[in-house]
Amino acid sequence: MPQGRRLAPILRQIVKRGETGAHEKILDTPRVKIDAGLAYDGRTPTQRAGIEVIDRTRRRFLTAGALAGAGLAAFGRGAAVRAASTATVELPFENGRRNLVAYPEKRPLIVLTSRPPQLETPFAVFNHGLITPNDAFFVRYHHAGIPAAIDGDKHVIQIGGNAVNVPFTLSMADLRRKFESVELVAVNQCSGNGRGFFSPRVTGGQLGNGAMGNARWVGVPLKAILAAAGVKSSARQVTFNGLDAPLLGAADFVKALDIEHAMNGEVMLAYRMNGADIPVLNGYPVKLVVPGYYGTYWVKHVSHIEVIDGVFDGFWMKTAYRVPDNDCACVAPGTTPAATRPIGRFNVRSFITSLQNGAQIHAGRQTVVRGISFDGGHGIREVACSADGGQTWQPARLGENLGRYSFREFTFAFTPREGAYDLRARAWNHAGETQPLQALWQPAGYMRNVVESVKVSAV
Amino acid sequence: MRATWLLTSVFALAVLASGTAAQSTTKTIALPPDGVQLEPSDLPGYAEARASCGTCHSAEYMRYQPPNVPRSYWEAMVKRMKGVFNAPIDDADVNDIVDYLASTYGAERK
Repeated sequence: MPQGRRLAPILRQIVKRGETGAHEKILDTPRVKIDAGLAYDGRTPTQRAGIEVIDRTRRRFLTAGALAGAGLAAFGRGAAVRAASTATVELPFENGRRNLVAYPEKRPLIVLTSRPPQLETPFAVFNHGLITPNDAFFVRYHHAGIPAAIDGDKHVIQIGGNAVNVPFTLSMADLRRKFESVELVAVNQCSGNGRGFFSPRVTGGQLGNGAMGNARWVGVPLKAILAAAGVKSSARQVTFNGLDAPLLGAADFVKALDIEHAMNGEVMLAYRMNGADIPVLNGYPVKLVVPGYYGTYWVKHVSHIEVIDGVFDGFWMKTAYRVPDNDCACVAPGTTPAATRPIGRFNVRSFITSLQNGAQIHAGRQTVVRGISFDGGHGIREVACSADGGQTWQPARLGENLGRYSFREFTFAFTPREGAYDLRARAWNHAGETQPLQALWQPAGYMRNVVESVKVSAV
Repeated sequence: MRATWLLTSVFALAVLASGTAAQSTTKTIALPPDGVQLEPSDLPGYAEARASCGTCHSAEYMRYQPPNVPRSYWEAMVKRMKGVFNAPIDDADVNDIVDYLASTYGAERK
């Protein structure tokens, strides 16, 4: 495959972006190298650099592994070492076996897809504190054109669109120094978190419940940035684009917020995550943080912001990431919604994190069940727990309050006799909204928030 | 000598990591190889899928779908990839690819 042929659309893409004013620097200095290598032949840069040997070895081993006991030694020390490093995990639904692989700046995470990377946090992480570490935070890309190198000092954001008075180029230095920063602890959650648990099953990324995380973000309210550009009264929406790009040039990942939302003072351009630079795979050097809203709006490597006088109709707003346009965002299983709207705020969720299905606890001894809850920004008002599958409920104790967009810890103590227990947690927010006892359904598999069940036995 | 070299290296690393204004803040990443490959098949759609689908994404997108996903899903996805994302698929090859996907990953799997 001639490299030029597949590279051309990417260059067109960059030049096309340049039409809004950013092209000179991008073309003159390769400070952002779109990883076009991914486009040529399906191999990653690592593979082209000569790691095919290891890859072949691994496939050979996996094939041999299926022969059960064919003999590790036959494949040599290298193969055995490699095999040991490709651990797998079984998500609790059919066809749920996944590889655990460490991507750049990440510990081994559950690989939903290798390329573009979609990585899920192992659920045990959520039992270790309220903040999700950067190296464990989930990753979700839509396109394989991911920058292989980003200069966090030279990166700029083009602020423009037909509904601003003064388009300008925002440098990272200006973002950090000329605007007052704010700090906020907020959950980011993938729209499809828990999709693998839908019944009947739906197509799409088959995630467990690990496509969420809670981080301390530092950045600048978008309101201040847009005010500097002067928002015209004709403004209706604000669109956000990042450096990640589609390899064949079409359907770039661009998202939009209504102008009132974008200007609410909470939406921010974040450049710090848990006291450190944002990991590349989470959007270095600057990421849009949309508190209380699903992760689809949290655009990574933000490079272009446009205030427009219409409603943006790109693929990722008009066709994808839409939910049934009714109060429950749900339909009867297997049916198609009559009308849809773009996905919006999180509903209420809670998870027991200290025990997993099948765990054994001590009979006659007090067990403290611990978990986390969150919602779209009203804040958690109360959590109730049940040990008998929801027949009786008792209030849980709420833990430290890190803000209304954060995970909130809850604990619930009980002393079991010998036997089987079906543990459940149910949260309410300050608006009185709660979680359904029976799972709601929608064809895209978004917004799961049923009261989850953890079955344990006391012995 | 060796100890001196090590100490020097540690010092140099510390300087690089200190993040003073003069330092570059370029982050460079190299992603791991695909962890899953398309299932080999004698069907003509296999080679076509490797070439067309594999250009932009790895095979977990197919491999991890729920079992028994109907043919209509695979057909809709192939058409979406072609129509929305410019996947280089000839009209004449669409059926072959759908055949391969439905019989390898979907409801028609043996």
